[in-house]
Amino acid sequence: MIRDLAVMIAGKAGDGVLFTGNVLAKLLKRHGWEIVTSRDFPSNIRGESTCYTVRASLDKVYGLSDQLDILLAFDCESILAHLPEIAANGIVFCDGQGWTAPPPEQTQGKMFHRFSLRALAREQFGQEIFKNVIALGALSYVLDLDPALLDGIISEMFLRRKGEEVVRKNVRAARFGYEKAKEIIAESERRPLAKKADADRILISGDEAIGLGALAAGCRYFAAYPICPASEIWQWLVHYLPDFGGAVVQTEDELASLNMALGASFAGARAMTSTSGPGASLMMEAFSLAGMAEIPVVIAHVQRLGPATGMPTKSQQGDVLQWIFGSHGEFPRIVLAPGTVGECFELTVGAFNLADKYQCPVIILTELDMGQNFRTTRALDFSGIRIDRGKLLNPEDLLGMAEFKRYELAADGISPRSLPSWKNGVHLAESLEHDEKGYRDEDPLNRRRMMEKRMRKLDQASPDLCPPQVWGCQKAEVGFIGFGSTLGAILEAIEQLRVKSVPSRFLQLRTLWPFPAAEVRQFLAESRDVFVVEHNFSGELATLIKSQVSPCAELKNILNYSTLPFTPKEIVGPVLRSRR
Amino acid sequence: MKTKESYHRVSPTWCKGCGLFGVFDALKRAAAALDIEPEDLVIVTGIGCHGRLNNYFRAYGFHGLHGRAIPVATGIKLVNPRLQVVAVSGDGDAYSIGLGHFLHALRKNVGLTYLVVDNRIFALTEGQASPTTEFGMVTLSTPFGSKDFPIDGPSLALAAGGTFIARGFSGEVAHLASLIERGMKHNGFALINILSPCVTHNKVNSYDWYKKHIFHVEDVPGYSPKDKARAWEALNSPEKIAVGLIYEGDKPSFEELVLTDRERPIASLNLKVDAPRLGKIMDRFR
Repeated sequence: MIRDLAVMIAGKAGDGVLFTGNVLAKLLKRHGWEIVTSRDFPSNIRGESTCYTVRASLDKVYGLSDQLDILLAFDCESILAHLPEIAANGIVFCDGQGWTAPPPEQTQGKMFHRFSLRALAREQFGQEIFKNVIALGALSYVLDLDPALLDGIISEMFLRRKGEEVVRKNVRAARFGYEKAKEIIAESERRPLAKKADADRILISGDEAIGLGALAAGCRYFAAYPICPASEIWQWLVHYLPDFGGAVVQTEDELASLNMALGASFAGARAMTSTSGPGASLMMEAFSLAGMAEIPVVIAHVQRLGPATGMPTKSQQGDVLQWIFGSHGEFPRIVLAPGTVGECFELTVGAFNLADKYQCPVIILTELDMGQNFRTTRALDFSGIRIDRGKLLNPEDLLGMAEFKRYELAADGISPRSLPSWKNGVHLAESLEHDEKGYRDEDPLNRRRMMEKRMRKLDQASPDLCPPQVWGCQKAEVGFIGFGSTLGAILEAIEQLRVKSVPSRFLQLRTLWPFPAAEVRQFLAESRDVFVVEHNFSGELATLIKSQVSPCAELKNILNYSTLPFTPKEIVGPVLRSRR
Repeated sequence: MKTKESYHRVSPTWCKGCGLFGVFDALKRAAAALDIEPEDLVIVTGIGCHGRLNNYFRAYGFHGLHGRAIPVATGIKLVNPRLQVVAVSGDGDAYSIGLGHFLHALRKNVGLTYLVVDNRIFALTEGQASPTTEFGMVTLSTPFGSKDFPIDGPSLALAAGGTFIARGFSGEVAHLASLIERGMKHNGFALINILSPCVTHNKVNSYDWYKKHIFHVEDVPGYSPKDKARAWEALNSPEKIAVGLIYEGDKPSFEELVLTDRERPIASLNLKVDAPRLGKIMDRFR
């Protein structure tokens, strides 16, 4: 019985690769499997090559494996492109159309099933589009999946949007694919999966998890400008926020998005925006305003490949230092980095409390790989969520105050807040240096006091900040440090190294700023070889560690600035080489 | 009843004779005429001499970044539509660095009163050419005369679908106050472009110059602000500058369209976590 599987669906943009991959991921999840998906697609709507990998395992997995077990290819080019990734005993399903045989040395041991997917779809169902469901039916046969579960997913996908007739036709096509595969594929060539109950779990993308976290945390104002790969947060929230009494606004640019969120927050809403790449650069201006006027706001940044427009549909971790040290002037900010979809949810919920409590901008920093791909996680717990609005007063308390000072020089640096319309709370949210009531003040002593007040806000924040998590062997000479979606590949690498008798550990940073220096220092002291794993060119995290931990042990960087996320072997390789 | 004094915090320190005194006075008069509680009034300003207004005016205020008054004000208005939100900008703020926001607020018809204090110069930075500076004018940044042709805010507003387009003159405070008052009552975005002399850095467009160059649309026989063609004609009058309520249209306000329940502002929502409801939403990911 198969316990671990990687299936790739490949074809041209417009072939329905995304649909097919999504259905397959859900289908495997319903059989009790853990899922990680990965899409590689062009910044183009039609015509160019695209692929979708579903990694599935009976045990918990977070990342992709190094090899593919099955390739479902809708065109010949995809076969040639991905043949080297296919395991020695792998299976290739392909459409017979335009078939050219790959060189024999590359096909050795691999099993090829040529299906005339398009032709069958046309003949039997009148439209080529049915090839996707036919293929899913055939895959179900090979993997010994429950056809009823596939029917159920098809119905969920089509019933509301397209009606019963479309569901019936697709279900027939799926069954047709299943039967057709039975004719073509010998029993010995099947790969029956082990199964277990689909326990209390969900299959969700990082972007959706952030959206759900925001909704649960009481975010009621969301302003954004369309940008890949962050738009899914908004496109998810837009279906729910109005029902919860909130508003979603499409702005003219990212300058407006963040300024609008600040206005909304000033007026009392828990407010948020999301962006990526160039949008984040535009937000740098208002980021500083949030710091100076001490306005809570949450910014989700789903990183993509830069610089400039870069590659909008490829993942990268090249914007870390921008949020930690970026914008003009100095002001406190909090930068969070979820490494799992569960953490996307939890850290987003926490972000709103942190923003309110510390009255500063909070960044949720993820990557395209986390944002747009789907992963299984245990069902989310809403009952434990606590809403903490910090020093936001209420109208009654405010009335009883002798004198309200919005920017009071409090010992902890955090001052009381009032909202417009509240009596006795009139103040100015001021981007100029200001006095305790918010009015412009250029006095040198006042400037010093105000600067110190703002900058000490986070001094005592560490109990509220998500601490780093240590994964892997308890004692190990090899240590990895990383954050975000590289977690999956690092954990796979730890397992591969363990098999090779090289125990290793991983320090996953979940708060990047304020920097968890004590934990990192301790981890460095306990490890002999430390590898900082980052999906960028210059090793931004390593630079950060060196600036915050002094003296700092030697750090080796494992960097990847290609268009694809890390594979485990790209991490294992450098570790093994360094030990020779 | 409120009086002007209800909104007076401290006396302004603009240059003696600055047009902003007239704007300050007119805004207080308009607010008093509508009996607005100072706590229910939010003044959002950009960067420029006008930005000092917040220091002198008693009301909630937000003095943000150069050119960004409109998005901040929009956020405030949507979260609490019961508030009277007045955004104030200079000509640089509104028509240069913040022009994108201006056009989109008009398009969206957000319920803001937008005062553009247009002195045709960047005054706070000591006198560079602004987008409304006349062609050929010598300024700090254009010692050989401005090579840029000026743009006209009200004309842009008309083209962008504005529903309340007015021009006032800070030398005519009562008239200006009445325009602001009407703008505050308007459902949607109300632009009041204010001709406002800078006595220090713009020696050309003085009070006397404006007095010679303006005409009131109210005085034009048969003029109706409902007539877009007439409005366009008035805005394009050769030699003379039209003041008064130039155009008034009817379109739903953005907050009407976006907010499901304006009687229950976002600002006062109970954020209590509804776990069963959220659980049902999560079930779609199972």
